[in-house]
Amino acid sequence: MSDQNRLAPPFGSLIDRQQPISFRFEKQNYQGFAGDNIASALAANQQWLLSRSFKYHRPRGLLTMAGQDANTMIQLSSDPNALADRIAISDGLEVMAQNYSGSLNRDRGALLGLFSKFLPVGFYYKAFFKPRGMWEKWAPLIRKKAGLGVINQDYQVEYYDKQYQFYDVAVIGAGPAGLCAALEAAKTGAEVLLVDENASLGGSLNYSRLDAEGNTARVLRQALVAEVEANDNITAMTSATCNGWFADNWLPIICGKRLYKVRAKKTILCVGSLEQQAVFHNNDLPGVIMSSAAQRLMHLYGVRPGKTAVVVTGNNEGYATALDLLDAGVQVNAIIDLRQQPEYDAIAEYAVSKGLEVKTGYAVYAANKDSGGLHLGSVEVREIMSQGICAAEGNTILCDTLCMSVGYTPTYQLICQGGGRLSYDDTSAMFTLTNCPEDCQIAGSVNSHWLLDDVMADARRAAMIATNELDLSSATVPAAIALSQQQSPNFGWPIFAHPKGKEFVDFDEDLQIADIINATRDGYEHVQLVKRYSTCGMGPSQGRHSALATARLVAAATDKTVAQTGVTTARPPFSAEHLGHSAGRSFYPAQRSNMHYRHLEAGAQMLQAGAWYRPAYYGSSDQRQDWINNEVNNVRNNVGLVDVSTLGGIEVRGPDAPEFLNRFYTFGFLKQPVGKARYALLTNEAGVIIDDGVACRFTEQHYYVTATTGGVGNVYQSMLKWNAQWCLDVDIANVTSAYSAVNIAGPNARRVLAKVCSDIDLDSQAFPYMGVREGNVAGIPARVIRVGFVGELGYEVHIPQHCGEALWDALIETGAEFSIKPFGIEAQRILRLEKGHIIIGQDTDAMSNPNEVNMGWAIAKKKPFFVGGRSIQELNKTPLKRCQVGFVVNDLKAPIPLESHLVLDGDRMTGRVTSCNYSPTLNKPVGLAFVEPDQAEAGSHFTIKSSGGVMVEAMVVKLPFYDPQTQRQEL
Amino acid sequence: MSPSIDIVTTALRRSQLYRRHIEMGAVFESLGDGTAGDSALVSYYGANNHQQELTQAQHLGLADLSTLPRMGFKGLGTPDWAAGQGIELPAQPNQATLQSDGTLVARLSQSELLLASNLNGLSESIASTTQSTPPERVYSLPRSDSHSWLVLCGSRAAETLAKVCGVDLRPHKFANGEVAQTSIAKINGVLVRNDLGETLSYCIFSDSSSVEFLWDSLHDAMAEFKGAAIGIQALRDC
Repeated sequence: MSDQNRLAPPFGSLIDRQQPISFRFEKQNYQGFAGDNIASALAANQQWLLSRSFKYHRPRGLLTMAGQDANTMIQLSSDPNALADRIAISDGLEVMAQNYSGSLNRDRGALLGLFSKFLPVGFYYKAFFKPRGMWEKWAPLIRKKAGLGVINQDYQVEYYDKQYQFYDVAVIGAGPAGLCAALEAAKTGAEVLLVDENASLGGSLNYSRLDAEGNTARVLRQALVAEVEANDNITAMTSATCNGWFADNWLPIICGKRLYKVRAKKTILCVGSLEQQAVFHNNDLPGVIMSSAAQRLMHLYGVRPGKTAVVVTGNNEGYATALDLLDAGVQVNAIIDLRQQPEYDAIAEYAVSKGLEVKTGYAVYAANKDSGGLHLGSVEVREIMSQGICAAEGNTILCDTLCMSVGYTPTYQLICQGGGRLSYDDTSAMFTLTNCPEDCQIAGSVNSHWLLDDVMADARRAAMIATNELDLSSATVPAAIALSQQQSPNFGWPIFAHPKGKEFVDFDEDLQIADIINATRDGYEHVQLVKRYSTCGMGPSQGRHSALATARLVAAATDKTVAQTGVTTARPPFSAEHLGHSAGRSFYPAQRSNMHYRHLEAGAQMLQAGAWYRPAYYGSSDQRQDWINNEVNNVRNNVGLVDVSTLGGIEVRGPDAPEFLNRFYTFGFLKQPVGKARYALLTNEAGVIIDDGVACRFTEQHYYVTATTGGVGNVYQSMLKWNAQWCLDVDIANVTSAYSAVNIAGPNARRVLAKVCSDIDLDSQAFPYMGVREGNVAGIPARVIRVGFVGELGYEVHIPQHCGEALWDALIETGAEFSIKPFGIEAQRILRLEKGHIIIGQDTDAMSNPNEVNMGWAIAKKKPFFVGGRSIQELNKTPLKRCQVGFVVNDLKAPIPLESHLVLDGDRMTGRVTSCNYSPTLNKPVGLAFVEPDQAEAGSHFTIKSSGGVMVEAMVVKLPFYDPQTQRQEL
Repeated sequence: MSPSIDIVTTALRRSQLYRRHIEMGAVFESLGDGTAGDSALVSYYGANNHQQELTQAQHLGLADLSTLPRMGFKGLGTPDWAAGQGIELPAQPNQATLQSDGTLVARLSQSELLLASNLNGLSESIASTTQSTPPERVYSLPRSDSHSWLVLCGSRAAETLAKVCGVDLRPHKFANGEVAQTSIAKINGVLVRNDLGETLSYCIFSDSSSVEFLWDSLHDAMAEFKGAAIGIQALRDC
């Protein structure tokens, strides 16, 4: 389609007529210019119908031209519910309308409007419960109709990210107030961020008429913007939305695909006001638009809003719009002034002098469709008899455009998010804002100033206060500008009920006057309840154009004042944002040992334990159990190597190190010999086991304590916390990442190690079980600990982190002659299970005390104190309610029980499995389980409810399953 | 120093990132003398000449110095002992100073120090403190291994860091020699501004096991500014 509806310059300040752009809407070709958004380009092509309304599928066109309403929500291939008056056109852009059945022009869904009487307010809630069973019938239909737009299932993930920014002063909104505030603040040397959601700086100066001739706004804008652009202290961001206000001036600002996390010492919100619609029959017809929208169309995009227009106004600004329309060659058939006796300013007087027909004390009572049924064709105007009541008859005036100029609400959302309070002034019929959060101010029209000079002075004053408080200036701050001197642009009651309804209060949800009133009659008198019952304000525009009218209607219906009624809570985000802005480039740190790639090269299947990657087993997943069994057998019969770099490591050093460990862990550590390791069991104040490891004493004042992979962070913090109380002379350092570590285990472990370690006597007598030594392994300084977690002769070798791979290589190469094989944590779990060793967190839970898990031996009986000792003493006075036992499953055909499978006594649940696996060594499933004490005797049987409800018979056996004399690990 | 890829698999000390370096065509240099031990370090990336890497460093470069020596000490006796060892201490916590031999000394608290060698892997301070036995209440910390060491440098470095770190690190707000102990891409780290001549430069010391994640995160953040990995030679040339 060709461009037929453009105005000559200076109209169209945002478009570049030298750059035509082709796009498609509803599969039709259209052309616009660079700088056009979808709505303006379509309007230039006389395509006014953009979408269908949510409930009744009524035809909807542009309303605000500011991205503030749901009328312009369209479907892009990448996004549903994109705003046509926000999205710039681009070559090849495919745009579809939303929410219609059939075609946009002939929407079968519009039939729903005929049944609106049967869809009363609160329909959903009523349909839920009566008549009984009705919901089941409604639900499929409602679910089918619910939602707007279509999610692209083939969506390709796009890149979103985040960036921190820091400023002395953030000014939100770059209209006349914002520009002045930014300049005033920048004068003092302050670093200023100026943010505006529109494509160009200047706000209303871009389109408003501030004088009869229409020059002031343009000249002023050029001057202010030039000054801002020349000021190095000001960073200006356009097409950027401040989507919330959070404590300490944390401002999430969305621009493109980036979320800026802005910290400002001071914030000045110059966010302006939102023009409101008049409420009358068919006020949603395409062609019925805000006055400011008509002005934006003409001045920003050079688009004529229509051929014949009527202006309905409650202030003098409507007259300015009429003058703009005249300048654009639009025939203005009437100005309908709601006021009985308007006080004209110079602009209004100038408009009247043009000979326009003006009807004062009149209202637009109804809008009528044109012959096509999809656009405004005429309006019916009637004299206002009293508040909201019109004369019985009126006149019809032909027009294809109706501009509404009946008042504003301050853009209160950000302020109210910060605790600002919204009040209502009956005299001015306006909301006003007070109680701004600390370090945050408002200025301009959002602060109820309407005269240009007052707006700019108010902004400069706010900037002075901000910079004075930052000690960047010491300006004498002028007195606050009195509000009472100004004429309010709000008309008190631009709401006119019609016998046929369809006077829309909330366009998003198709809510009419009767819906709001009936909500109060159904007992939902509080505005918050009205919102939830009617869904008023819950649509995409979040009550921007319904809050004021709703408050007025609820107030009238409940005999309260509007101030008493108030509005619903404003919460972030201010406008819809992509999930990508929140989710984009989040950080999920991953930890890898220095040997990580050797595991991959050896074919390891990796799993994540917390942030750590660990080898589960080596080999293809289709033979998982075979690989694991082989790894177990190789450790039992030969020698294996496992990466234990993820184990926690904490240095405890200082004169009081023994005393510290003695208090912190359950065992005794005061007499621990140098060169020995000791099992370290940790309980909390409640006596619950929370971690374990070994404490290696290298010198009198130096312990190296290991902790579990997942628990070391908490153990370290807990150590710091306790020593903050104890004030012992000890230093605690978490050195987990400083060490790579392996466990070389199996009967041939010593032989392998001996080949690469010459300065430690590895003889069993010289270096016995639970001994610790320092030396060199493969030329690398090492701490060597003789441990037996897997129940075989074994050495943990801890070396500097960056040497991990070199150590791994050396041991694999040296061990080749003994057929050394790496093993993963799955094999390790089986090996330790065969040995009856528990894993904290798997075989214990948040209630497990040492006696329940047969760890009474790890409790020092004679020391006066340890964390949890008092609780354990008390627990010891009462009989055990459960205890952990080892069990075997002798039926090899039975499914192997899994962790958390229930232990039953008849129908009664008496416990649960904590570990169970097939033991290659015993050739049967073995496991650990919590059972009741009378089930714990070796040889007794219990039932496990296994996968699929299969009952598996288990027999209690004495632990450990393997090597009960512990000869293997002490070889 | 004899640049060779072979040394990567023979050197005992290998950065967690060395496979990434190899993928990017790194040419390594060995620091087998001095205090660096048997370490492999990226000298430069094969496709670049020195002048290109120097230009990159001045614009936006990321280097891995994880195999260079560093050391930490803490404990109440640390300041006096370190001063006795000839170390010039920063006056306040969260400040860093360069010693005469180029060793960077960052004071992390009243009683904790982090020492990092010069760009040749040499440091008299580290050598002397490592060889001597610290007195009571001075405790050594294995910073060479607990922490990786990355250097982000160039005129766009602060903007890059603004994408991963919530501290205002812009040059006029975060002076040369200032230290921030903070979260970088959700990893705890010590960040020291340590300009290389006229080139803005930040040292990042962070958990060594997470360095691949941090390296990737920084590359991601650098991409829009056309940042790239550089070898240590470019840093020396700055």
